[in-house]
Amino acid sequence: MRSTKRALTAVSATAIVALLAGCGGGGDAASDDPNAKATLTFVAYGGAGQQAMIDVYQKPYTAAHPNITFTNTSPPDISQVKAQVLSKSVKWDVISLAPGVATQHCGELFEELDLSNVDKSNLVEGTLGKCYVGNWINASPIAYRTDAFPDPAKAPKTVKDFFDLQKFPGKRGVLTNLQNGILEYPLLADGVAPGSIYPLDVDRALKKLDTIRAQTTFAPTVGALQQAAAAGQVDMFILPDSRLVPLMNDGTKLTVVWDVTVTALNGFAVPKGSPNRAAAKKFVESLVTPTAMAGISEALGVAPVNKASKPNLSENAKKVEVFGPVNTGQTVAQDVGWYAKNFDSATTKLNNWLVG
Amino acid sequence: MPGTVRRRAPSPQWLLVAPALVLLTAILLVPLGRSVSRSVGTPSFTFAHYEALFTDGVTLTVLIRTALTAAVVTVITFVLGYPYAYLMTRVGPRVRGILMVVVLIPFWTSVMARNFAWIIILERHGPVNVLFKLFGLDLVLYESVAGVAVAMSQVLLPFMVLPLFSALGAIDRRLLLAARGLGSHPVAAFWRVYWPLSRGGVVSGLILVFTLSLGFYVTPALVGSPQQSLVAQLLGQRTTQLLDFEGASALGFVVLVVSLILVAWANRIGGTISAIGVVATNAPSATKGRS
Repeated sequence: MRSTKRALTAVSATAIVALLAGCGGGGDAASDDPNAKATLTFVAYGGAGQQAMIDVYQKPYTAAHPNITFTNTSPPDISQVKAQVLSKSVKWDVISLAPGVATQHCGELFEELDLSNVDKSNLVEGTLGKCYVGNWINASPIAYRTDAFPDPAKAPKTVKDFFDLQKFPGKRGVLTNLQNGILEYPLLADGVAPGSIYPLDVDRALKKLDTIRAQTTFAPTVGALQQAAAAGQVDMFILPDSRLVPLMNDGTKLTVVWDVTVTALNGFAVPKGSPNRAAAKKFVESLVTPTAMAGISEALGVAPVNKASKPNLSENAKKVEVFGPVNTGQTVAQDVGWYAKNFDSATTKLNNWLVG
Repeated sequence: MPGTVRRRAPSPQWLLVAPALVLLTAILLVPLGRSVSRSVGTPSFTFAHYEALFTDGVTLTVLIRTALTAAVVTVITFVLGYPYAYLMTRVGPRVRGILMVVVLIPFWTSVMARNFAWIIILERHGPVNVLFKLFGLDLVLYESVAGVAVAMSQVLLPFMVLPLFSALGAIDRRLLLAARGLGSHPVAAFWRVYWPLSRGGVVSGLILVFTLSLGFYVTPALVGSPQQSLVAQLLGQRTTQLLDFEGASALGFVVLVVSLILVAWANRIGGTISAIGVVATNAPSATKGRS
């Protein structure tokens, strides 16, 4: 009996040791040479967006740098980066994320980048950070299903109208991620000037949101809200441009309210200790070139961060072109620095408000 | 062990369990232990992460909401499952096969397909909404706890029906005949003979469904709304948005302990019957053998 027990213990101990050993990835001599043969693990949100990145970023890059190839995976879950860094077995090389998150965890979860070689002359301010490279600007304008407000004279025209249930009855749709203006729009409607919106008064924003809460669908993902808009579950909604274009392409008639529009930078970062960090850093620097920018704007309907890029936009993409002639209003760019400092407290407040 | 009562020496059969034990230790017990130690050991020994759960004003609300939802789902599956399982014991093998397949279909369907199907059925202008409107009620179950409960009940029905079927199938129906022969009313015969014999299966089903409900993530996330979050969504937010691994570990451990307490409690009221799905008729003899 004793020996059986001992054998059992030995077997399990061996198995555990073997498993643990398997987890600790070995050091990679090639990681510091940007030109060594490497396969970069590229993590983005999947779907049409990632396919566009494969076509526009990766394929031309591999053609120019035959040593560098890519494998793709999704979603870009930051908690996985933390888990990989904590367990010292980083598997990801390049990740798509909100620049605020990269800044918040700069040096701790993400590699610091040396961006001295990047041509900054035509870049929109804030495109480059210590730990991220911005690759496009997402605008999340207020829009409505045209059939919900068929008479243009009686249709919503301002941010205030979105929060006016009396004059403009109908279901609202709002995304719960902080990147799409859930905190900015209520403050704008409450009378805060676009220029002085940061630092955000989160409590005031939530109080304003209270006024439309009963008529609002709070969607946790863009996909869910896009689907709800297509199915007529919501009449007026705040969705990013890259989702409004496919919505219109699929036949949903909608009108964009160009009053004040919140824009957010999307970026890329390199997880701390990535096995191919040198090659990955070199690759992310290439994302801001005018040609790469134009290609991604054409594919997704997002705005370029490089003013020299001249995308050839489709008819529907022009309707949401936030820096184009169609936008007769103003824009508010999300403040990366504020989000880097306040992301956790703002998220907690918002989540508590939502579930409470 | 010296000094204690001598037990039967375990037979080599124990070796057969070894692979499972090793696997469980490596992929369940070790990570669970690390998770618990993280929740009390970061940065140094502290219960702060647990305290925060009960003082943030939200976790407790969500825990209670989760428990209520789980209870409703358990009741729904029981009310549907008991007659269903009973019917399965009374029909021929062919019909029984069909009934079995019907109850297992949600099991074999992809989680995403199933949940999106529920969204389409429950959303505004969907069939259920249209049906309610016929009765003058403009009720939309999509994004409500009620909708989540309905969708969860469909998924969890097999976990109620299968243990019930195995318990009810083992009941000797001649006992009912005997009761009737001794002058019992059919209802009384059911209540005093059949029901007590089926109790093991009932407890198994209730526990399985309830504990599984506590951890449901995809259905409440898709069919429900962030405003009606259940505890798994809270765990998701804590890990993926806030990167608060310590708080998430603490919350996960609290849910685990609550589940274990419930299982232990149900085991007691279930008498000698195991909650893990042992058929009623086997249980007493098995217990006797051990004690």
